[in-house]
Amino acid sequence: MTVLEAKHIRKSFVGVRALSDANFALRAGEVCGLVGANGSGKTTFARIVSGLLMPDGGELRLYEKPVNLRSHLDAERSRMAMVHQNLSLVPEMTIWENIALGREKTGSLALLDNRGAVAQAEKAMETISVKISVHERVKNISPDEKQLVEIGKALAKDPRILILDEPTASLDFHQVESLFRAVRELKERGVAIVFISHRLWEVAKICDRLVAFRNGETVGELDFAVQERNEKLIIPLITGQEVREKVRKGSAEREKEIAGRSERGFALELRGVSLDGGRLTDVSFSLRRGEVLGLGGLQGQGQEEILMILAGYLKGYSGEIRVNGKPLALRNTRHAIRQGIALIPGDRQKEGLFLEHSVLSNILYPKVSMHRGTFFLPRGRYQKLASGAIDTVSLVPPNPRLIVSQLSGGNQQKVVFGKWLALSPNVLLLNDPTKGVDVGTRQNVYEIISGLAEKGTSVLLYASDNEELIDNCDRVFIVFEGRIVKEICGDEITEERLVVASLNVEHSGEKSPGAGRQDGRSP
Amino acid sequence: MKAHRVVRGLLQNSSFPSFLMLVLLIILNAIIQPGFFSFQVFRMNFMTFTPLILVSLAQATVILVGAVDLSLGAGISLVTVVMASLMQDSTLSMVLVTLLGVAAALFLSLFNGFFIGYIGPPPLIMTFATSTMWFGTALLIMPTPGGHIPQAYYMVYGKTLAGFLPVPVLILLVAVAFCLLLGRIKAFRHLYAVGGSERAARASGINVAGTKIFAFFVSGVFIALAALCVVGQTATGDARSGQGFTLNSVAAAVIGGIAFSGGKGNYVGAIIGGIILGLLINIIYFANITSFYQEFMKGVIIIVALLFGAVPRLRRELSHH
Repeated sequence: MTVLEAKHIRKSFVGVRALSDANFALRAGEVCGLVGANGSGKTTFARIVSGLLMPDGGELRLYEKPVNLRSHLDAERSRMAMVHQNLSLVPEMTIWENIALGREKTGSLALLDNRGAVAQAEKAMETISVKISVHERVKNISPDEKQLVEIGKALAKDPRILILDEPTASLDFHQVESLFRAVRELKERGVAIVFISHRLWEVAKICDRLVAFRNGETVGELDFAVQERNEKLIIPLITGQEVREKVRKGSAEREKEIAGRSERGFALELRGVSLDGGRLTDVSFSLRRGEVLGLGGLQGQGQEEILMILAGYLKGYSGEIRVNGKPLALRNTRHAIRQGIALIPGDRQKEGLFLEHSVLSNILYPKVSMHRGTFFLPRGRYQKLASGAIDTVSLVPPNPRLIVSQLSGGNQQKVVFGKWLALSPNVLLLNDPTKGVDVGTRQNVYEIISGLAEKGTSVLLYASDNEELIDNCDRVFIVFEGRIVKEICGDEITEERLVVASLNVEHSGEKSPGAGRQDGRSP
Repeated sequence: MKAHRVVRGLLQNSSFPSFLMLVLLIILNAIIQPGFFSFQVFRMNFMTFTPLILVSLAQATVILVGAVDLSLGAGISLVTVVMASLMQDSTLSMVLVTLLGVAAALFLSLFNGFFIGYIGPPPLIMTFATSTMWFGTALLIMPTPGGHIPQAYYMVYGKTLAGFLPVPVLILLVAVAFCLLLGRIKAFRHLYAVGGSERAARASGINVAGTKIFAFFVSGVFIALAALCVVGQTATGDARSGQGFTLNSVAAAVIGGIAFSGGKGNYVGAIIGGIILGLLINIIYFANITSFYQEFMKGVIIIVALLFGAVPRLRRELSHH
């Protein structure tokens, strides 16, 4: 049975066309992928289907009956649930309150049935194997746990249609595995699932079929029943071009480069850095000038803490940090920035950008805050600087007057980069910079990174996605429970080795134990 | 496991610092106010505390939903004026005018609520505008304080029932029962959700405008009770009688741990905040501070109270960053 069918859906936002001709069909008991670049209209489509937005035109059928979805409440009555990309959780409320939010059951006298709600929340969290107390407040849990709660919230609705919008963006591979297990179970029970993701290998792995959007139109479909499960087939659908070869350099070239760098000295050295409560223990490493150093491992093992210390956010560490060979106690963020250390945060909407300000002012904030000397700001020079930065990051459209919140996610991330390029930092700290960013922009971001490294900027990259570490890093340190447990260099950086090292079980050379991708492609 | 959670919940509770403050002020007040623990003083104190606590609850409700009500004081004034200008000596008139006063308070609150919910002006400006409207209307009806409140009516407020229950305390108990009931109602949970994150609330299928209107309605109930107390206390209609309540209620709510950004805090805190403010006024009065300094001292003590509330947050920030 076709549970959901959309034909020629159109939608515009104040003159910007988000969807021009979206077509989509979903059958009961299937997982259908929805892929496309940032700004291709995936999320808009999902929001229309789930009743959060009204389409301008087109036809929508649910359970083979035409509908006019006016509000989310109606979507709920049709037993449809959506996992939101921008979380729909209230931070001050507990997990169970959030899971029940909007559909609280009431007992006699219209009083709330709290015990039932707690039980239901516990059951939902169990299906995706999450082991946190449902009485915890959402503000106290980590981003990946929030994402899981969001999924739990959708599952608790016992939906017949489930829309997952970038559900894995902040999850590590164990959590992705449990999610996929839950998805397969739901599928068995006849639930129809729309899976929206930028992680193409995940789409290839879990979906039965996929539909691709480009510029607000449905441009193609792949049915894995007849076609090979291969990401390479998906990429041309998204970009409209043939697959570009990976930017990764040959090993000879790489070795020569590294040898050249070792003469240039260290931009940053850490000696026995520890943080109380075992959050970091005896972390020591050196970052060469122009080197791209990766931090890998499972999520939340201390990678972010390392970045936060270096950016001057976290104080109270012990051990020594040297910048350009000189010991230095980082006082605060301002101090770190003055030393040429810039952090590109993981949550761009919260920590990286002023969403309601223009591209221009966003790019110039660090520059302005570091301004010294003249009383008035040199506006002309700053404007030139900003357009230079916009060029470097190839922002689309290259208009400095645009308000950042109007840009797509990928372009927002480019603005975050542009912001720090203006200061020409010595050390760039990256906290999962391509989270929720499409293939094209991702490539773009890493071209920027390798360009900077060539010019002598040192990069410390934390990525939750192993592939990014493989493609970009000269060396990778695996962090496990606050310690660096392994260093992997050059050609040895492979998916398999990263996964094995992340779990901190030494079986190098053997097959990875059930985690990560297993789609047979050689890394 | 559960006991641990309860203890941590208590310490993390947003009204915990204000509770400490309350204990401190009670001690201070007991020292300087003669016979603080006697029944007479208790009864007298609650005659002034009750309206303060009620407006604190009213303000807390709208702050929780992410708004604020600057028209609260003017609303109370208007209700007293309307009641004093209409009330006759007959019992029927007293009952009818009381009901009318309650209806008026609810109408004024809902007027704010409908505008803020459906049209969406900033609550600060919206309620400032309505506050001058209510004040203007009250002045029009009664340019100078006056009107008639029968003795039989206002005497009730000073009475003690069954020899141990002063009427103001009874009113307070009714309000507390109302609070307890609210805590178990769906719309009240939604009020926290809307105040905590409007976007998340909307995505969860909550009727955001309706929830805001609900908050103003609840607030109106408390304002109505407060207005009745003020009538009982002053026995006149006065277009300025409610003036002081507006910002006192905001201060009380914030001191009681209600986050000004919305979605955080609880009624226990609001009640504590109201009592703190009442004790404050008492202390300043009994400490024989010259009237010139009274207002100044009140401000200083409010700031101290706010610092108390900031301690857990400051401690957390200093340890992490």
